[in-house]
Amino acid sequence: MKTQLTLTPDPIDELALVAEREMSDGMGAALVFHGVVRAEEDEATITAIDYEAFDDMACHQFELIFEEIDRQWPIESVRVVHRLGVVPVNEPSLWVEIIAPHRVETFEACQFLINTMKERVPIWKRPVGETSSSSPKAV
Amino acid sequence: MTVTVLFWSYFKDHTQCASTSLELPDGATLGDAHSAVIAQFPVLGDMRHSTLKAVGVDYQSEEFPLNDGDEISLFPPVQGG
Repeated sequence: MKTQLTLTPDPIDELALVAEREMSDGMGAALVFHGVVRAEEDEATITAIDYEAFDDMACHQFELIFEEIDRQWPIESVRVVHRLGVVPVNEPSLWVEIIAPHRVETFEACQFLINTMKERVPIWKRPVGETSSSSPKAV
Repeated sequence: MTVTVLFWSYFKDHTQCASTSLELPDGATLGDAHSAVIAQFPVLGDMRHSTLKAVGVDYQSEEFPLNDGDEISLFPPVQGG
């Protein structure tokens, strides 16, 4: 399985990523997921999220996740881009592409990758520009 | 032995530093190091059970035996994505 991981402070250039896509003839599914920064975090309105990573450990933990995916599904390639630093609302902080012969394994592998990332990969976020509580709490 | 402890995310805010050094007896475990850190920075005690611990780039348990020169990381639950 081919893998590519990028941790970057730069905006995610999806056009460039798609242009670099490699798919062999037997592949019938290319799944792309964007994780996008919401304007709400813990019931407050925000303008951005500031991401911090322990880079070396994050790369290692992603590699372990890729190895688990390779053992469980017949995936041809996985590409992951995670932004670091300040990511404004409505911009993607995470981009995942999974290529496989059929859609089922791409969806399953993508769910596994993201769920496991959120348990193991040392990346943290801080809300930026918190201005107000966006919705009243139920009484 | 001497080990280095790195703090990440808001643990850096709580300790007001990114790292510290610990002197530990031979045979000390990662749990012993965690206890020593909490003795030095009591504010981390409330988060003891949710704290994630690694040596190098791998998660390890409380019982993990430390060696001189190890680099320990302590941090809150991760939040990527």
